[in-house]
Amino acid sequence: MPPKRARPSATKTDEEADQPKIRADALAPTLDLARQIHSQLVNGEIPRMRLPLRTKQNIAFQSREGVWKLGKALGTRSARKLDGALMLLRTFYLVDFINEMSRDRKTSTLRELYYISEGWEEGKFHSEDESNLLIEDLEVMCERLREEFRLHPEENGASVIGDLTIRERNRKGIVKKINCRDDVGDGGYSLPFNVEKEKIDFVGTNAKFVIAIECGGMFDRLAENGFDEEQNAVLIHLKGQPARSTRRFLKRMTEELKLPVVVFTDGDPWSFRIFASVAFGAIKTAHLSNYLATPSAEFLGVTASDIENYELPSDRLTDQDIRALQAELTDPRFATSEWRAEIELMLKNGKKAEQQSLAKYGLNYVTEHYLPDKLREMGVL
Amino acid sequence: MAPSTTIAQQLASKQREISVAEFFERNRQILGFDNLQRALLTTVKEAVDNAIDASDDARMLPDVLVEIQKEGEDRYRVAVTDSGPGILRREIPNVFARLLYGSRFHQNRQARGQQGIGISAAVLYANLTTARPAKITSKVEEEEAAHVLELAIDTQKNLPKIVSEDLELWDRPHGTRVELVLKGRYLRGRQSPLEYLRGTAIVNPHARIVLVEPDGTRSTFERATTDLPPPSRETLPHPFGLELGELGYLLKASRKPTLTDFLTKDLQGVSARTAREVLDAAGLKGREAPGSVSGEAQEQLLAALHAANLVAPSAEGLSPIGAMLIKRGLRNVLGELRPEFFAPPVSRPPKVRGGFPFMVEVGLVYGGALPADQSIQILRFANRVPLLFQQGACAVTNAISNMDWRRYGLDQKGGSGLPVGPLLVLVHVASTKIPFTSEAKEAIAEDPEIDKELTLALQAAARHLRTHLSRKSRREFAGDKFAIIQKILPKLAEKTSALVGKPVPDLTPVITRIMDVVHVEAPVQSEANGVRVPVAVTNYTPRARVLELFAEIPPEAMALATFDPTPDGTEPELGRVWWTLPKLAPNGRTGLTISFPPKTDLETNDLDWYVAGIDEAHVLGADPLPGDWDVRLPRTIVEASEQAAAEAAATGSTEEEVDYDAAEASATVRDED
Repeated sequence: MPPKRARPSATKTDEEADQPKIRADALAPTLDLARQIHSQLVNGEIPRMRLPLRTKQNIAFQSREGVWKLGKALGTRSARKLDGALMLLRTFYLVDFINEMSRDRKTSTLRELYYISEGWEEGKFHSEDESNLLIEDLEVMCERLREEFRLHPEENGASVIGDLTIRERNRKGIVKKINCRDDVGDGGYSLPFNVEKEKIDFVGTNAKFVIAIECGGMFDRLAENGFDEEQNAVLIHLKGQPARSTRRFLKRMTEELKLPVVVFTDGDPWSFRIFASVAFGAIKTAHLSNYLATPSAEFLGVTASDIENYELPSDRLTDQDIRALQAELTDPRFATSEWRAEIELMLKNGKKAEQQSLAKYGLNYVTEHYLPDKLREMGVL
Repeated sequence: MAPSTTIAQQLASKQREISVAEFFERNRQILGFDNLQRALLTTVKEAVDNAIDASDDARMLPDVLVEIQKEGEDRYRVAVTDSGPGILRREIPNVFARLLYGSRFHQNRQARGQQGIGISAAVLYANLTTARPAKITSKVEEEEAAHVLELAIDTQKNLPKIVSEDLELWDRPHGTRVELVLKGRYLRGRQSPLEYLRGTAIVNPHARIVLVEPDGTRSTFERATTDLPPPSRETLPHPFGLELGELGYLLKASRKPTLTDFLTKDLQGVSARTAREVLDAAGLKGREAPGSVSGEAQEQLLAALHAANLVAPSAEGLSPIGAMLIKRGLRNVLGELRPEFFAPPVSRPPKVRGGFPFMVEVGLVYGGALPADQSIQILRFANRVPLLFQQGACAVTNAISNMDWRRYGLDQKGGSGLPVGPLLVLVHVASTKIPFTSEAKEAIAEDPEIDKELTLALQAAARHLRTHLSRKSRREFAGDKFAIIQKILPKLAEKTSALVGKPVPDLTPVITRIMDVVHVEAPVQSEANGVRVPVAVTNYTPRARVLELFAEIPPEAMALATFDPTPDGTEPELGRVWWTLPKLAPNGRTGLTISFPPKTDLETNDLDWYVAGIDEAHVLGADPLPGDWDVRLPRTIVEASEQAAAEAAATGSTEEEVDYDAAEASATVRDED
């Protein structure tokens, strides 16, 4: 039994022997940036950095890869201008801060970082927007995730239920092996904000696929009905627009465990967008599409045709819904004939429906009929 | 006994004189008493105008106390006390309790009130709304005690009615106090007595005005000068401004023996020769008595006068405020707003429209606590009287709205309408006859001549604003650069050096590259032992510089100045002085000092600085030397200028790089879809 506050290097248990490795070079690129600026100063050059522009014009949908990507256009951040000089100074306050957190084994929320900057004098952020943008800049320049910089949003990660075994290094540095079906309560396994390899490692799974669910009510329904065991599925609750850690976890499950991902949401234009951000990434995180997007994810439903075929209780589309659907018709992520047909059908019928409207046919209908039918149709079962 | 006489008599008996009360009722709006708020303001305005006019006429500094007390629901007591010359006992009833009794009606000069309706209308209004008499206290210097009269107006006969009379010992050597109880409403805001008095104080910097509001709040506008405005002299009427009725009146009232004398001595601008031509054209002899010219002859005389080639009307009857006093008045009253800029006021030369001289004056105040996100504020004055109502209908407002203020550095939607920004515009129109849109005298009517002058004056003032704003933006640009090199860069060096574990490098080469300017700093510092201008010139460029520095100083201040070191050249009458500076290495600095006696009226903005020997893009705090200076420059400076020009041409094509932070700010995607 490991001592309570054991340091990883002090005691070597079996579990620790094969614990996931912290990426040793996670912070190395930040020091490279400092080196670069220092040598510019030594050479009498005006300090500057070049980084990919994250303006709309430089973000494009890569239809071949099926994700948003940053283009090749670069901008210069130079100490010649006040704004540039301030951002450079802040960059190194930030680099200093995350290296210090690493030494102290601490993490910080984005909001805490914003307040930490109160002590940075001229470098102080004027809004949380400003600090968030700088963190994204650092992600781009260092090709690392902010989670690796030990910075994370307050949003909590998704819940997972299913026969999936992982190893997690907990906050005390101890590695725990957890089966997401047998070792957790009814709430499931809750994803931490950092789901990178140094934090979470996959041990193994017997599941055949992953089903990502929009609403908590439906997630609970599937868990209560034992859908995970019956169909050998991993259930994951998206909690609306999924957090970065949820999207990253889905991506890793597909890549490392070769599990197909299906997305099960309400049948309305906003749910289509939830699916799109899981599958193709979002404009805002275009620089991270390689980490966050799962282009192989498939949309299960509720589709516009489901609403008709299953005669689901529905609501009329609002004006806002209609505008959202029309916008989706010009969105490159939905530029396939299937999606176009689906959106046009929803516009034509003028109806939307919730996942839970399937309860019209009883509590078991969704797990006994709807999902098996749809999954067979998609070739997952 | 003709029947027609009887009918005429019958008709005549039906006609009765309209009583003044009826006249008042029918013309409330014209007289400024059409609502409770306005009635109170008009009362204050008439009493204060009278008080200042009386003091000015007697060449005394006006000292006016305005007290407003609440007596009941919509009922106020207004008391206005001045320390003017006082009014003789026998004049008091007529001045305050008889309509159309004024001493100015037939005067051809600029004055605040003109019709003689003002104060007696206020007395009548008070009488009608509260049935209370006006209480007048007045003492002239020659008498021991003050006369105290309670007056009402006999509304049938338009004659004063003395309700009571007494003598009282007064603590003032001379002065007048008017006390009225009237129905009114006291409100604060743009059209309040406080704003009226504020405006009055700005354009009458020689007056001291105190207001005590109903809640006891006391506001004092101290005088900013003890110089009285020059008296506006009465001038003779000019024929171009005459109408037939007025000509008839003047002819009848003339004491000159002949018509020729009348033309050359009772009128303005008519020479003996012109008088001859006019008389010929009108078919008159010139020997007849003025009073004998009537009917058709009057018409012909007026037509001949209007057609004649006359000397333009004289501007002597005008009483402009003057550029210096506008500045003092604005500074005195608006100083608490801490404006960053008072533009040098513009006082246009007098012009003539019809037979009447007029002139336009404009002052601008910018920045400080003036609201930046609202339309600019306009202070309108006609003959030194603030205009508070009908702003939208006024020629002044139109002239401002029709200007494209974007060219002068303000925001203005579509280049017309009121611009937005922390600007206050003061416009004063002075004339012996101002064309108002109505008898209420609240807005100046459109007139092409006045509009032209308004526009020229506004443009001249706005050019000063533009210069100020462009200098300010250059200063801010410089401020940014200094923040970079003084605060940010040292920290950046310290931070990165610590992260990589190396010593902090010498930053001089980076500093001169970032700045790449020669900086001229010349603040005016007012101290007890004198006004000093310590000038510092720093070469923040990567190359050594040879420069000639020029200053332009207001000539009256230049006459008092001493220079250290001795200048290499001066032109005192133009206020010009210049030095050849020692060669400045990168990061090198040199200084010089100009000293003035204590209390010299000088501000940093009053001095202009120019340099030669470097191109415009590489100087902060000074401009390139204007071409009209015509100074012979030393050979070294000429060479430096040529080299700088070549350098500027060579660096013209700097690498095109996208500024990451500018691009981010404008177009970064912030919202998750």
